[in-house]
Amino acid sequence: MLVFATSDKGGTGRSVTSSNVVYRRALSGKDVSYVDFDFGSPTAGAIFQIDSITHGTAAGGLHSYLRGEIPEPRMLDVWSESDREVLRSQPPGAGRMVILPGDAAGGEFSVSPEMVRRCVDLFLRLEAEFDLSLVDLSAGRSYATDMALAATAEPALRGLTTRWLVFHRWTRQHILAAAALVFGERGIIDAGTARGHDSDRLRRAIRFVRTAVVDPNSEELAGLRPAQVAWLRDCNYDLRRLASQLGIGRTAMLGSVPLDPVLQWREQLISDDDVALTEVANSSTVEAFKLLAKRLDDDLAWEGL
Amino acid sequence: MRIQPRQQLLEVWRAVARTCYPGDSWQWGGRDQRNSISDAEQILCLMGPATQITTFKVDLPDETAEDVLDAVAALGDSVEIPQLLIQVLTQYFQAYTDESGAPVFSGGSYFSAGAQEPTPEQLTLNVVDSYSVSIRLALASIGFVRVFRNVVRRDALRRAVEELESLASQRLTAAMLGLLRSFAVNTFDVSSEYGQNLCRMVNQRQLTMRQVVDDLQRELREIKAGLRDLTVGIGQVTDLDNENKLFECGWSWGIIAGAPRIEVGAQQVPQPDGVAEPLPYLYFTVVALDCIQDLFSDRTRILGLLDDEQQTLARALQIRWDLTQSYWSRIARFGRGTWPLESMPWRTTDGFESDYLTLLIASIMINDLASRRASTSDLQRVAELLRELGARARITRRPLPRDPAVSLHQPGFELVLEGSEALGGQRLTWYLADFAPQLLKQTLRVAGLLRDIPTRGRTIALADQIWEGHLLRRRMAGGPAAQLWDQPSQIYEDLKPGGDQPSWYYTERVVSCLVAAADLVAGPPLPSPVLADLAGDLLAEADHLFDQELLSVSAEAGPSMGTALQTVRATLRRAHETRSELPGTAAVLAMDVLRDLRRLASARLDASGTA
Repeated sequence: MLVFATSDKGGTGRSVTSSNVVYRRALSGKDVSYVDFDFGSPTAGAIFQIDSITHGTAAGGLHSYLRGEIPEPRMLDVWSESDREVLRSQPPGAGRMVILPGDAAGGEFSVSPEMVRRCVDLFLRLEAEFDLSLVDLSAGRSYATDMALAATAEPALRGLTTRWLVFHRWTRQHILAAAALVFGERGIIDAGTARGHDSDRLRRAIRFVRTAVVDPNSEELAGLRPAQVAWLRDCNYDLRRLASQLGIGRTAMLGSVPLDPVLQWREQLISDDDVALTEVANSSTVEAFKLLAKRLDDDLAWEGL
Repeated sequence: MRIQPRQQLLEVWRAVARTCYPGDSWQWGGRDQRNSISDAEQILCLMGPATQITTFKVDLPDETAEDVLDAVAALGDSVEIPQLLIQVLTQYFQAYTDESGAPVFSGGSYFSAGAQEPTPEQLTLNVVDSYSVSIRLALASIGFVRVFRNVVRRDALRRAVEELESLASQRLTAAMLGLLRSFAVNTFDVSSEYGQNLCRMVNQRQLTMRQVVDDLQRELREIKAGLRDLTVGIGQVTDLDNENKLFECGWSWGIIAGAPRIEVGAQQVPQPDGVAEPLPYLYFTVVALDCIQDLFSDRTRILGLLDDEQQTLARALQIRWDLTQSYWSRIARFGRGTWPLESMPWRTTDGFESDYLTLLIASIMINDLASRRASTSDLQRVAELLRELGARARITRRPLPRDPAVSLHQPGFELVLEGSEALGGQRLTWYLADFAPQLLKQTLRVAGLLRDIPTRGRTIALADQIWEGHLLRRRMAGGPAAQLWDQPSQIYEDLKPGGDQPSWYYTERVVSCLVAAADLVAGPPLPSPVLADLAGDLLAEADHLFDQELLSVSAEAGPSMGTALQTVRATLRRAHETRSELPGTAAVLAMDVLRDLRRLASARLDASGTA
C-alpha cells in the first residue's frame, strides 16, 4: 500500500507523525518504508536519528534518482543505521524499516514525463518490497504532490491501493487551509482530476489527521481556570462546526494526535520506553499513533458514508 | 432541579447500548417479549432523545457530541452509529409488515386474557398504542434520514437510507389511517347508566339532573356541531341532536367494528376490519392525542416530514384532536367551584374508578391549558392536583400495609378491551402500569407552563421527589439490564420482584420524561419582578456614581485608573443588557460596580483626611 502524507502548511507535525506511524507499523511486524519527498527540506534523517543524513543524504538521494542521475535511490535500514539506542536493534517480531532520504542539496523542481515514469518505477518497486510505503510530501501545493498525483494516475499504478493523509493542526486557519488544499482551486482533487484521476474515488482515498490537538476535557488541562475551560470548549465546538461545514469533519478524519511535549520540543520517534520507563511522553500519544497505524489498512475506516 | 436530564439520559443510553448490542447483533425483546409496541419503545429509547434534544443528535456524524459518543461507544463510532440505527429501524419496519407488504400494528404479548391465553387471532389485533408509537417512531426515522442522507455518498448506503424512508412513510400512512378509524363517538340516553354516571361526575354543586343536562348541552354545543361534520373513517353518528342524549368522544382501543374504509389517493393501503366497540377509552385517547400533536409539531412542519396524502390525513386527525381535547377539558372543569376533576377518583361513564383516570384527564387538560395560555390560578390548581395524585398513588407517601394503591404500579390499572372477544377467546385486557412516569411528565409540563415563581419552585420540587423518591429507586440496580427499568419491588415490599430483563414499556416512558425535563431546563428562568425592581434601582445608583466619577477624575488619571474605569463601564453595560431576562445577574453586576466605585471614593476620602 502507498500512503501519501501532505499538510496544509509547514509545522503541522506531518513528518514526525507519519514517521511514528511507520514505526508503529514496523513494530507490529510489517515491512515498511519511509520515502522522503519533502524536496525543500528533507528532515526524515533527524526524526529517525540517523546523523549521516540529518539534512538529507550527500549523494544518491531521491532527487538524483528522479532526475535520472542514478539508477537506484539510496535505501537505509533504520534498525542498523540509527544513532538512537532504542532504534539500534530490530525488536523481535518487528518488520523491516527502511528510509529513502532526499538529497541534501535538493530543492523543488518541475515535473517532466520522464520523472513521472521513474516515479512509477520507484512506487512499483516499493510496493513489491514493502507492505506499506509512506511517501512524505512537502506542505501545501507542491511539485512533489503533483508528481505523486501524476504517477498514481498512470495505468501501471491504478491497481494499487493508494491513500492520502492530510495533516493539519486544530486551529481555524489550519482547518481553512487544509480544506482549501484538498477541495479548493488547484487543490489535490482539482489537480488529481486534471492528471486523470476519478474525482470521487480520489476524494474517498483522502483522510485528514489532526495534530497537536488540545482536548478541552483532558486531564492535562486541569490547571486552567474554569472560565478558560468553558471558553475553550465553545471554541472547540465552533471549530468542529467549521470543519464539518468544510467537509473535513469527523467523518473525513482518520485520527487525531494530542499535543505532546516530546513531539513539540524534540521531533522524534516516541518509543515505548519514552512512555513507560522515563515517562516523558504521554501514553495517549502512542495510542493515537497505534490507532492511526491500524486504521491505515482498515478498509472499514476508509469506507465512509 | 435535582433531575439532571443530560447526565441521566447518558446513563440510560450507556445501559441501552450495553443491553441491546452486546455483540454484533441487535437484541430485540425484553421482559414483555417482542411485539410491535415494545420493539418500537426499545428503539425510541435512543431515537427519542436523538431527535428531540439538539445535543443528543447523531444524524450528523461530524457534529455528534463527544460525551454522547462515549456513552454509546458499544454501538460504534460516530460514523457507525447512524448506520446501525438505519439497520435496526429497517429491521423493525420489515418485521412488522405482513406477507402482502401491509404494516402490522398488533398488540401481541401486551394483551392478556385473565387466566387464559389469548388466542393466536387475538394476538394479531391492531391496537391504538401501536399506531401511536409507530407514528412517533416513523416521524423520528424520517426526520433522522432527512438530515443524515445529506452526508451519505456511498450508493449502497444511499439505497438503505431511501428504503428506510419509504418503509417509515408507509407505516406512518397506515398508522394514521388506523387512528382515524379508531375514533369513536358514543351517544347515550341521559337516563342510561352512562348518562347517570356522567352527570353525577360533573355535578359538583348538587344541582338537579335537568339543570346539569341543560348546562352540559350548552357547554358542548360547539363540539357536537364539530362531531356532526366528521365524515372520514367514521360511521354515521346518530342522535347527536337529540336533547335527551349525551355523548363522549375519543379513541377506542382499536379499529371500530364496521368503520368504513378511507379513500386515499394513489397508494393502496390495506385497511383491515375492526372489532372494537365504539367506546372512547381515556388511556387510548391520551395516547392518540399525544402522537397527533407530533404530526403538527414545528419539527414535522420545518423538516417537511409528511407527504401530501399524509397532510390530508393529519388535518382530519387534527380536527378530532381539537374536538376531543376540548371535550374532555370542558368536562373536567365543568361548572363553577370545585372541578369535577378535583373530585378524586375520576369515574368513567361505564363506572370504572381510579386515580389513574384522574391523571389521564389531567393530562388532556394540561394539553388544553398549554394551547390556551391558561391563567395562573388554573395552573396552580392542576399543580395541586398532581401533588395530591402523587400522595394518593403512594409515590410521595409510603404505602399502608396491603395498600390497594400499590396495584397502580404493578400490575397496573386494568382496561377491558370491549369487542376483543369477537374473534373467539376471552375478552382481552390491557394493563397500564405507567402511573409514575406519566405523573412526572405532567408535573414537568405544568412547571414549564407556570409563570409564578413560588408555585413553579414547588412543582419542580414535586418532580424531583417523584424522580428521586420513586423512579430512580425503581431502576434495576444490577443484572444484565442494570440502570434500566423497571423493578417496583425495590420500593413496595408487598410486590414480587420481576425478571432481570428490561421493560422497554417503562424505560421508554422514563426517557420521555427526561426529554421533557431537558426541555424545561433549556428554557430561560422566570424573571422575578422583585429582582427586576432591585436591579433597576441598583443600576440607577451605579450609573449615577459612575458619571460622577467621570466628572471628577479621569481621562488623564493614568493607565491603571483608566483600566479600572473601563472595567466598570463594561460591567455596567453588561448589567443593562441582562436586566430584562436575568435581573438577578444584573443586580449582582451592578453591586460589583458599586463596590469598585466605593473603593475609589474611600481612597479619595482617605487622601483628603476626611475618612
